[in-house]
Order: sequence, then C-alpha cells, then structure tokens
Amino acid sequence: MIYKLSVPAAVPGVDEIRILEWQGTPGTAFEAGDLIVELETHKAVVEVRAGQSGILRELRAEPGDWRGIGLVLAVFSDRADEAIPAGDGDADLKVEFEIT
Amino acid sequence: MSADHGVASTKIYFREANVRALREEMRQNPRVLILGQDVGAFGGSYREFDGLYREFGAARVRDTPVAEAASIGIGVGAAASGFRPLVCITYMDFLMLGFDPLINYAAKLRYKTGGLLTAPVVVKTTAGAFGQGVAHSQCLEAWLMSVPGLKVVAPSTPADAYGLMKTALRSDGPVVYIDHKRLFPIPGEVPDAETFIPFGQAVVRKPGSDVTVATHGFMVRIALEAALILEGEGVSAEVIDLRSLAPLDINTVAQSVSKTGALVTLEEGQTTCGVGAEVAARLYECMGMRPWARIGALPAPVSSNPVLEAATIPDAARVVTAIHLLLGQ
Amino acid sequence: MNSIESLRLMMLIRAFETALAKRPDHGFQLLSSGEEAVAVGLSAALTDKDQLLTGGRSIGPALARGAEPGAVMAELLGRVAGPNRGRGGRGHMADPESGFFGAHAVVGGNISIAAGVALAKQMAGDGGIVAVLFGDGACGAGVLHETLNISACWRLPLLFICNNNQLSVSTARTAALAPAKLSDLGAAFGMWTRTVDGLDVACVAAAATEAAGHVREGRGPAFLECVSVRLLSHSTTARETRSRATLTELRAQCPIRRQVAYLQSSGYLEIAQAEALEREAADRVAEAMAFADASPYPEASEVLDHVG
Repeated sequence: MIYKLSVPAAVPGVDEIRILEWQGTPGTAFEAGDLIVELETHKAVVEVRAGQSGILRELRAEPGDWRGIGLVLAVFSDRADEAIPAGDGDADLKVEFEIT
Repeated sequence: MSADHGVASTKIYFREANVRALREEMRQNPRVLILGQDVGAFGGSYREFDGLYREFGAARVRDTPVAEAASIGIGVGAAASGFRPLVCITYMDFLMLGFDPLINYAAKLRYKTGGLLTAPVVVKTTAGAFGQGVAHSQCLEAWLMSVPGLKVVAPSTPADAYGLMKTALRSDGPVVYIDHKRLFPIPGEVPDAETFIPFGQAVVRKPGSDVTVATHGFMVRIALEAALILEGEGVSAEVIDLRSLAPLDINTVAQSVSKTGALVTLEEGQTTCGVGAEVAARLYECMGMRPWARIGALPAPVSSNPVLEAATIPDAARVVTAIHLLLGQ
Repeated sequence: MNSIESLRLMMLIRAFETALAKRPDHGFQLLSSGEEAVAVGLSAALTDKDQLLTGGRSIGPALARGAEPGAVMAELLGRVAGPNRGRGGRGHMADPESGFFGAHAVVGGNISIAAGVALAKQMAGDGGIVAVLFGDGACGAGVLHETLNISACWRLPLLFICNNNQLSVSTARTAALAPAKLSDLGAAFGMWTRTVDGLDVACVAAAATEAAGHVREGRGPAFLECVSVRLLSHSTTARETRSRATLTELRAQCPIRRQVAYLQSSGYLEIAQAEALEREAADRVAEAMAFADASPYPEASEVLDHVG
C-alpha cells in the first residue's frame, strides 16, 4: 500500500512550517517509533515519528522548504517494489509527533 | 532563497527577522545590548533572540528579573550614556509598569536638556489577543502615539520586522517597536541584502479603488482577508499598512482616499482615542471631510474566554460588514 | 577637599538658595537648607570620572559637584545661558561635563536611570562610578527596590546616597517607612551599607569616600544613609507643618553653623575669617545672579526644537 506523509497540524495557529532535516533517504525502511523528519514552526521543532513500519520512497520537500499544513511531504509504501503513483497516496501514514 | 523583481530574498519567520536585525547591528556596533526577561540562554519567550546569547555573551545579552520599571530605566540610562540597548518587555500590557522611565524621562530627555542628552533605546514588546486573558492581550500603541519625543512602529511582515528593527537600532531617541503574537507563525520573504525601512513611511499592501482601509500589525492580515471577500462581491478595497504610527505617514493615506473617496480605519486596540481616530483627524486636516468608519476592539477587556475574545476582536466578517455599511451597500 | 573648602561650598549653596528665594520670579523651587553637608560631603568623594544624579532637590548637589553658579542660576531662572537653555530648571537640569548627569523631578525616577549610567560605565570600563542621591521620600518607591536588586546582582558601580531629612513634604519618616535605619534597605540585598550623621560634613565625606572606594574596586554597589534636617518647608509652595519652636531647635543643628563652630573651636578658623567667607559666598552669588540676569529667555519660536 502507498501512504502519504502530510504536514501535521501540530501547533495551533500555524499555517506553514519549514522542513529541517530528514532522517532517511528514498529506500530507507522505518519501524514504528523511528524519527522520520524534523519540522520547524515559529516556536518549536516538531519531531515526526513513524506510527507504523514503511519504506520511504519519495521526498516531496527538501530541507529549507516551506509547506502548508496538510500538504504532502513524502510518500511511503509497505514494500520496496510497489509502483509510486503520480499523485498522492490513498492512505495517510500513521505518525506520532512530539513538539520540542 | 527566491528572487522577486530581481531582489534576492529568503522566507523566514518573524522571530528570525528580529534575530537577523539584532545580530547584524550587534556585530556592527559593540554598544548594542539586549536586556529583558529570559532573553539570554532561553533565547526569548518567542525565541526572538535565539543564538544571540551564544554569539555575544552574557554581558551584552542580559537576563533581568521581573522588574519592568528598573529594566527600562537601566536601558534608558545606558542609552543616555552612549550605549544602544534594546529592552524587551514580553507583553505590551506590562509596558505600563515602565512608563515613568520611558515617558517621563526618555521621551523628554532631549527636550529638557536642550539637546545635550538623548536616549537611543529600543523598547521591544508584543501586543495582541491570543487566548491569554485580560492582562496579556492588549494593543496600547494609541496611548504612545501622542507622546512627543517617542517613536512607535508596528510591523506586519517579517521583512518589515527586520527593516524597522534595523532603523530602530540606529534611531537617536527612544523607539517602541511592537510585534503581535498572531503574526509570529506567519513567515514572509525578507531581502537578503541589508535593508533599512525608514520610519514615517506607510505602504500599500493591496491596491484598490472603492475604499481605503488604513491599518497596522496583525489587523493587516484581517484587512487582506476582508479585501479578498469583498473582491468576490465586486468591491475593490485598497489596504494600507501604516507600519509607523509615530511618525505617521498621512500622505499615503490621503493619496489613497483622494482616489477611493472613503476611509475605514482598522485596529485591534480600542477605537476611543485610537490609531484610527488620529488617522481620520489628520486626514480631515489634510483634505476635509470624507466618509469614514472606524473598526476596533469592542469596548471591553479581552478575556481569555474563546467566545468572548472572538466577539471582542475585529475579524474579516466585521470589516466586510462595516465597509458595506460605509459604502451604503 | 579640606574643611575650609567644605565650608566655603556649603556657604555658597546657602547664599545661592537664599538669594534665589528672595527674587519674586524665583519659580517653583526645592531648597536644601540643612542638607548642604550631604551634597558637599558626597562631592568630596567623587572624581571627574564619576557622575551624580539627583531627584528634584538638585541645586545644592549641582553646585557642590562644581557646576558653574552663574550657569545654574540662569538655568533656574529659565535663561538660555543655563546648561539646558533654561528648559530643565531645578527639576531637570543636567550638566554632564561637570559630572552632574542630571536631576529628575519624579521622586525615585532617577534611580534606575542612574543604574543604567552605571552599567554603561561598567561596560565601557572607564573607571568611573555613579552616585544617585535621593531622599527618604523615595524609599517607599518600588523602583528603588528593583534597582537595589539588579545593581547588586550585576555588581554595578553605583553608590546609593539616601539623604534622610526625616520628612517627606508633611510625612515623617516614622509614618512612611517601616525600617528605622534606611541603610537596611540596601543590606537586604547584601551590599555595603552605613548610616551616618548627615549634618557633619567631614563625617559624610569620610563615609562617602569609603563607600566610593568599595564601589570603585568593583565590589558592587553601596548604600549610604545620611541623616539630616530640612530647615525650610518642602518647597517654595508647600506649607510648613512644624512649630516655630521645632524650627528653632532644628536651626541649631545647621550643618554650616556646626562646621563654623568646629573649625573655630579647633583653631582653624577665626571669626573674621568666617565672616569673610560669608561675604565671599555672597559676592559669588551676586556675580552668578548678574550673569543670569544678563542672559535672555529663549525665543518662543524654539518651542519645537529638540523634541526628538
């Protein structure tokens, strides 16, 4: 299955965040609890952790990029050989986020 | 990085614009200091001094106890002695605790000494309602506009936060620089080149032809939201961001009203003796009577209660309604 | 500063203020009769690297610090030859060149400003200290306590001088302030403190010199309380609340009288000399008065100059 990772609505009043650092590259496999990416809001860093296992397939934003809440940051899949569609995935990747 | 009309710029948050202005000025002039609560290692309550303590050290980025009167007084005294302090007052509501050194001394120092002494101090503070209650929500800039000798500025974008702060830190008298809590999450493009925005210069944020909306601070966002709604209804609003309240650029407003024929003033503070009342009075002195409506907070303290706060503070809907009423639609 | 010099200065202050008060156009003045020893003793401890700030009772301290009597008189009478073109007057005059950073008429209002001037000196490392002179009236003000705290935390080179003349307009110290010894206010913040007889100029000078020495060594601020008396009412418009008998008693404690008596009894001063010194003071004041009277008022057209 294909999953999309979107910008979480982590902090109230925030419309846009900045990508700080990815903790993997296309092909990296993540388990539940792994840190996927750090995002920066106006007041805090949001750590986005995997809530399920999955393989990172495509990055749709680079460090330093800005993205609005809800926009897709990356695409994951269960298996490495699944074809990635042109648009976004059907399902949302389960994530947990922590504000530091 | 991006380039708009050939100007290289970077999208950053308000707090980063503050830090950039301060860092540049502190590198350029060893006499620029920062005083305030939690400005040092903590980097400021809004992270608006992030990294400066690490770069410039504890002597130049000083944490103060909770003592607004003494903190401002110390900043003012150091300013009168040749330094350029920025005193951070976390909430504008607490600025009044330091009114004596700011208004009775700093604003009057040059005049009362016949030009012998002056106090180039920047008091940076943050205004606005954001769910924090009656004593943590006020917009009091109107109180300060009438003090001779005091300059008052309020940016609505990170670019203006940077440019106005640069100018403030080179001013030769006291300046109150006012941020707004609800602007902090909204990033914006800031020119990469060193830029100063002069005081006394308003800017047209959105051109229009049917009505002039003169506003400042967070309400610029509300005005733009309202203007978008009005476009859809066939009404073209011109939104002017005052940016500098004292000195006030009435010419830009007058030029706009000559074109549109009607003025709406919008502020988050109280309308009684408000920024809008002053803009309208000066406009009248400039060009005579024009249809005018003023929008501001309802005459009540701003409670932390979400229903009551929302009812008190102007929103886009209220602005749209007021404009329709003014234009007889 | 030797004893004769101290006496000369105190007499100058008394003669100056007396002559000023005699003029019909004297304006709103706060006079320091009875408090001259505090101003003069304090000045003996200050150098030309230091700055003095005061409250509204500024004339004595400004003269003691070395501000030109003619310029001071001009300032008080609103003439342009004053250091502030006549705009500051007694409540706000400033002559930093003479080491008199300025007066400020809000009670307690100059205390935090003085700490800022001290911070600047500490950071510039110019070796100077700052003295801030205030009365018992300012000891109830919150900003004093805020400033005592911060200056102790930051070890600012600041000398707090409390001129306790025991009366704030009509309110006795005992009715206004809980501590009997006002230097205890500084002790709460761990600084060097002392309370001395403010009517004895040598005593004030010695204590101020010791306090200033402590501050100069970078050991943090100091709080010196000088207990004096106010021989006149609070200001030229304030009603006198004390009885004739009380005032007569107080006048017997006059610091100038005391200094003359001390110098005479120790053989340092003949009566004729004392009278000569009085005349000298009167002459200097007459000169100052003539200088001031020769200076014009500012033009109304300069009303918007230097606003900022």
